[in-house]
Amino acid sequence: MPKKLRFAIGAGLMVAAVAYLIVTAVRNTAEYYLTVGEVKARQTELSGQMLRVAGRVDAGTIAWDPSTLTLKFAMSQPPPDASGAGLKPVAVSAGANFTVICRGQPKPDMFAPGRDVIVEGLLTPAGVIEARQVLTSCPSKYAPKQPK
Amino acid sequence: MPLIGQLALALALIIAFYSIVANVIGARRGIPTLIVSARHAVWAVCAMVTVAMGALWTSLLQSDFSLEYVSSYTSFTLPTFYKVTALWGGQQGSLLLWTWLLTVFTAIVAFQNRRRNPEIAPYALAVLAGVAIFFLAMLNFVTRPFDMLSAIPAEGQDLNPLLQNYWMAIHPPSLYTGYVSASVPFAFGAAALITGRLDDSWIRSTRRWAIFSWFFLTLGNLFGARWAYEVLGWGGYWAWDPVENAAFMPWLVMTAYLHSIMIQERKDMLKVWNLALIGMAFGLTLFGTFLTRSGVISSVHSFTASGLGPYFLTFLLVVCVLYSGLLIARVKSLRTPAEFESYLSREAAFLFNNLVLVGIAFAVFWGTLFPVLSEAVRGVKITVGPPFFDKVNAPLALALIFLMGVGPLIAWRRSSLDNLRRTFTAPAILGIVAGLCAFLAGLHQWYVLSALSLAAFVLGTVVAEFRRGVSARRHMVSESAPKAVVNLIAKNNRRYGGYVIHVGVILAFVGIVASSFFRVEVKKSVKEGGSFYIGPYELVYLGLTTRETPHLESAIARVEVFRAGKPIAVMAPAKLFYKRPQQPATEVAIRSTPASDLYLVLAGIDDNTGMVTFQVFLTPLVFWLWAGGLIMALGTVIVMWPNVRERAAIGAAVRAPAALEFDAQTVPGGE
Repeated sequence: MPKKLRFAIGAGLMVAAVAYLIVTAVRNTAEYYLTVGEVKARQTELSGQMLRVAGRVDAGTIAWDPSTLTLKFAMSQPPPDASGAGLKPVAVSAGANFTVICRGQPKPDMFAPGRDVIVEGLLTPAGVIEARQVLTSCPSKYAPKQPK
Repeated sequence: MPLIGQLALALALIIAFYSIVANVIGARRGIPTLIVSARHAVWAVCAMVTVAMGALWTSLLQSDFSLEYVSSYTSFTLPTFYKVTALWGGQQGSLLLWTWLLTVFTAIVAFQNRRRNPEIAPYALAVLAGVAIFFLAMLNFVTRPFDMLSAIPAEGQDLNPLLQNYWMAIHPPSLYTGYVSASVPFAFGAAALITGRLDDSWIRSTRRWAIFSWFFLTLGNLFGARWAYEVLGWGGYWAWDPVENAAFMPWLVMTAYLHSIMIQERKDMLKVWNLALIGMAFGLTLFGTFLTRSGVISSVHSFTASGLGPYFLTFLLVVCVLYSGLLIARVKSLRTPAEFESYLSREAAFLFNNLVLVGIAFAVFWGTLFPVLSEAVRGVKITVGPPFFDKVNAPLALALIFLMGVGPLIAWRRSSLDNLRRTFTAPAILGIVAGLCAFLAGLHQWYVLSALSLAAFVLGTVVAEFRRGVSARRHMVSESAPKAVVNLIAKNNRRYGGYVIHVGVILAFVGIVASSFFRVEVKKSVKEGGSFYIGPYELVYLGLTTRETPHLESAIARVEVFRAGKPIAVMAPAKLFYKRPQQPATEVAIRSTPASDLYLVLAGIDDNTGMVTFQVFLTPLVFWLWAGGLIMALGTVIVMWPNVRERAAIGAAVRAPAALEFDAQTVPGGE
């Protein structure tokens, strides 16, 4: 029995170590994942934080400077159901949008007006999202049937 | 054609039901003719799904746009090669491929077990048919590959440009093969639990299937990473995206399983654990399929819900509940008197290797599901990105590498200090020396230093093992050293193939560490004739050429690469513009050498000023990730290579029922 106990303790320590790693890593790396509407609703509280924001690129707002790799666009809340699967808006203010500036990254190939994007970045007090990364809905190969 | 396919799928569903009933009743009542009939039914299901595959392929090749699937994923101008691969470019087709692989594997299992495993094979076949029924039901009722359009479009919508790539052609089939073949050992495990035949014949009969699955999971992950590296144009190969994690987790658990079944085969321990592991591995393959199709997790791969989610989740839960129920019901008869004797033993090293692998899998699982969990618990969606996975997995990877050096060499049961000293002194010294050299060479990150030390240590143990084996051979028979190495591997392919895999893992690990820590990035806008530097290279932009085909337009930049003033290469990164769907794509140019990869992206073209912007990465040693992966695959082939002695042993064990009975009796049930 003591042998079993000794091994149970060893295995337990191992499990505890993994749990500890997970907990500390979550604490250090977690980011809020919100929609544009949710961010707007809690803008003051979230200002200065790293966020992941899901939204839709507004047509006619895209400015792309290929020589400095600066991408600027406005992003707004997509209409409900149409996209952002699984994102249930908690508190939404309609018609909200944010200006996003992403510097030093190539423009993603799938980036286009009306596309759904996820922006990772910092919400400045001025209400601009300084993006570290803009992710587009890339090989959306399992897209549902689109009405044609 | 579509009608034939539709009909074949419907028939397959009905026959699959029959095969379950016939197998179960045949086995319970002992009616051999029914078992034979069930086997024929399994083959008929396979034939039907094959017909459906043929029908869809024919429609794709003929560009029959009356079929919704064909018009959604191909066009007239799509190259024939991608018309073939479009079969797995979309949801319905990929599920059909999945189902087809499953029925083919089931048919092979039925053939292999014509005379073997009379007690558990019918149940294993029934379990496999049960899984097939779920997928066939999806294909018949929920996501039908042969749905027709009322109005036939003049041209199809074409395959996503990102999928028009060589790696995308071979990555999904490899991964699916790996996923699906994991269900064979799972089915035998489940059959062992159902019938109560809990000796290790289910493991021995499916060991090669498990390795086969691991082989393709490895390749699937490797090809996926390679696709990301060549196509996505961000200079990396792994982003801890949920879909990548979904492919990685079954690999981790299968790795654990392949190691811990060795303990059961040798020591008759860890029986419950092995059954649990194979259950987990199979569950994770379903989970992976669910994840990519459900929209539960927002991934860059799958933004949109497809309606399959609830079905998959239900099926997954049913499988989990049934399997765990069976396992719990049998726990008593799975107890064995054998126990761990010492931490300094091979059993213990393998146990801890298992815990680390499952720990990594759990951390990945947790991080992947974190947004869903946090929303459920706290009402706020919180995500963890790549930094989370890096932070958690980096130390665990070190532990794993360490155990990889210790496990295969340490003695069974209890290792004496003397044995430890003899086995590990030289490799340990090698590891420390490697670490010191790296430190003196200017590397000061503790992680890099320990990673390199451990890598050298493991390589040292493998070399020492080969040396011992070769010198033992040369004592007995006189042969040259190279010939001795070949014979050594041939005679003990499981063991030395395993070492080859370990070498591959170490090389890949070194490649991953070096490429994560020392990647250099330069962004530069230049005019024609302009130049800039990265690392030891000078890059000169020579100019832009354009080209047009009916399928796409491309703008190709020509960049000459100089090193120490000498021209060494001309590279051609490009921007492509696909015409349907109208969409740009990036074609990176990579110059790969064992020392480093020069990775060129044409990031922007400014039509007004004539300036182009390049994004360039210089990534050291990333070559070794791919080389290591291929060496892992090579090692796996060596392990799988038919070995006459082993085959005879399996044959003897599973053909002689008397021996089985005896085995079963020597395992005491209960305390």
